[in-house]
Amino acid sequence: MRLPRRLLVFALVAAASVALAAPARADDPRWQSLSLPAEPGPHWLWVGDELLHRTALVDADTGAFLGQVPGGRGIIAPSRSRDGREIYLPSTYYARGTRGERTDVVTILDATSLRTLGEVVIPPKRSEHTSWVAGSALSDDGRFLAVFNQTPASSLSIVDVAERRFAGEIETPGCGLVYAAGPRRFLSLCADGTALFVTLDERGGEASKTHGARFFDAAADPVTEKAVRHGDTWLFVSFDGFVHPVDVSGPEPRFGERWSLLDEAQRKEGWRIGGMQPFAVHGASGRLYALMHQGGVDTHKDPGTEVWVVDVAQHKRVQRIALRNPLASFVMEQIGAAPDGIAARGLGVALRLALPNPGVERIAVTQDAEPVLLAATSFPATLAVYDARSGKHLRDVKEPAIATMMLALP
Amino acid sequence: MASRSFDDWIEATARRLARTTSRRGFLGRLGAALLGAAAFPLLPVARARGEAPREPAPDDAALTGAAGDPTSCDYWRHCSIDGFLASCCGGTATSCPPGTEMSRVTWIGTCRHPVDGKDYIISYNDCCGNSYCGRCLCNRNEGDRPVYQPGKSNDINWCMGTETTAYNSTVAIVLGVATPSS
Repeated sequence: MRLPRRLLVFALVAAASVALAAPARADDPRWQSLSLPAEPGPHWLWVGDELLHRTALVDADTGAFLGQVPGGRGIIAPSRSRDGREIYLPSTYYARGTRGERTDVVTILDATSLRTLGEVVIPPKRSEHTSWVAGSALSDDGRFLAVFNQTPASSLSIVDVAERRFAGEIETPGCGLVYAAGPRRFLSLCADGTALFVTLDERGGEASKTHGARFFDAAADPVTEKAVRHGDTWLFVSFDGFVHPVDVSGPEPRFGERWSLLDEAQRKEGWRIGGMQPFAVHGASGRLYALMHQGGVDTHKDPGTEVWVVDVAQHKRVQRIALRNPLASFVMEQIGAAPDGIAARGLGVALRLALPNPGVERIAVTQDAEPVLLAATSFPATLAVYDARSGKHLRDVKEPAIATMMLALP
Repeated sequence: MASRSFDDWIEATARRLARTTSRRGFLGRLGAALLGAAAFPLLPVARARGEAPREPAPDDAALTGAAGDPTSCDYWRHCSIDGFLASCCGGTATSCPPGTEMSRVTWIGTCRHPVDGKDYIISYNDCCGNSYCGRCLCNRNEGDRPVYQPGKSNDINWCMGTETTAYNSTVAIVLGVATPSS
């Protein structure tokens, strides 16, 4: 008699558990995972994290954390499909975390649910470099993703994102990195100051590989790899602050006259470009945002204390934005100071004056009509939001990362 | 000037060769023929292991303060380092921490010794495996060049040709006195 009773109790408990776990109604958001809207917000930003091996989506207007995608080892640089529905993420994984068999993949994720849709295995050669910039690029027609490899021999892995297949590897000897430069064309920078243009055929194989003319002095004043694109023109900025434009709109790339971000007086004052992601362009207004600091030779990666806003067509500085001390922002966040309180404001001013200013390493600018300038540091991780037109500091996004590695617009 | 012209000629020739040939294919075959080992490409970047220094490393005992402290970013050999110092992570300025493997290829810097005033070539080999050390993060960029000039770029994870590319830390080994280029 006792056994059947026990069975009955077990059956009742099991039934109750099943009832609890049963899916809720589709229109009830409880018990469900959220999805993002199909259209990203105007001030959303991807914030990569090298330690957490992820890139997170935040809303700079509210400071809200919206979600994240995992990126495996190395630098995380998401690309979005031209129709906005998918995200492509080159990633490196080891079977035992930091050892075992290495597998490099391009992971394809749904841009609204952030769930994995599929993956394409590529050769285990993906480059890891600190800035992330130009580590991978989606062709302008959206069909092929090129991933930069460095073993240290350099090459590109080509992935057909429409057919979800590895299309092949194209060697790029003497050249590195990858920038989209036409519907089926990629640009790599070469150690001799030229650019290599790789054009793909219909299947993603190599249709042609040509070298452009030498357009910068690789020995005396090399361009940083941290370039920005303005329409169909890539702006490559040299260590000494000269902009080398490369127009990739036509069948033949055009190398424009170089121009300077600084005038002689500013050079004499020791102003220089610097940082890990020091440039951003606001397309509609034609303005280049550049992280600047005062320093000597070889400070091309030093963080910036100001952002200079330069009119690309006029080659003229139109604005100067002094950046807040990120260390003071971090301390304010750690002690939980309310951003709008009078006492906290006073403390903020005191901290900004008292603490050394380490500067900002990465910037981004949103592309809407009321753009914001985003300014980030890696250690400690901070993310400040400024009005990109007035330069006014708007807010700080709390806890954007543990180790910020890259910013990207969704 | 004569040596510069010669250097320029060598450089131009090397770059032409690099552009017009498949480096891995050609050098791989050459390596296989010469050494019977084509598994790793021969490339014009430093190989510290197995190379005897041309001149002994200068004595650090004469140095005072941070310039003589291998656990400081301001240590004289660290003028172009980017990463965690192996000497803070269980290793030394010239050897990797236990459980890690030293990278076979790396980037090269040139640092001036503060006492003897000579320029020394420094090989910044990465220690690979066991994940990030996370201590003594340094980033100094004397002579650092962009990623497309790999032999002089400290932005690259140089854990290549090792069992794993998981970066741990970096050493700074004196290869010898730098020869003036002009």
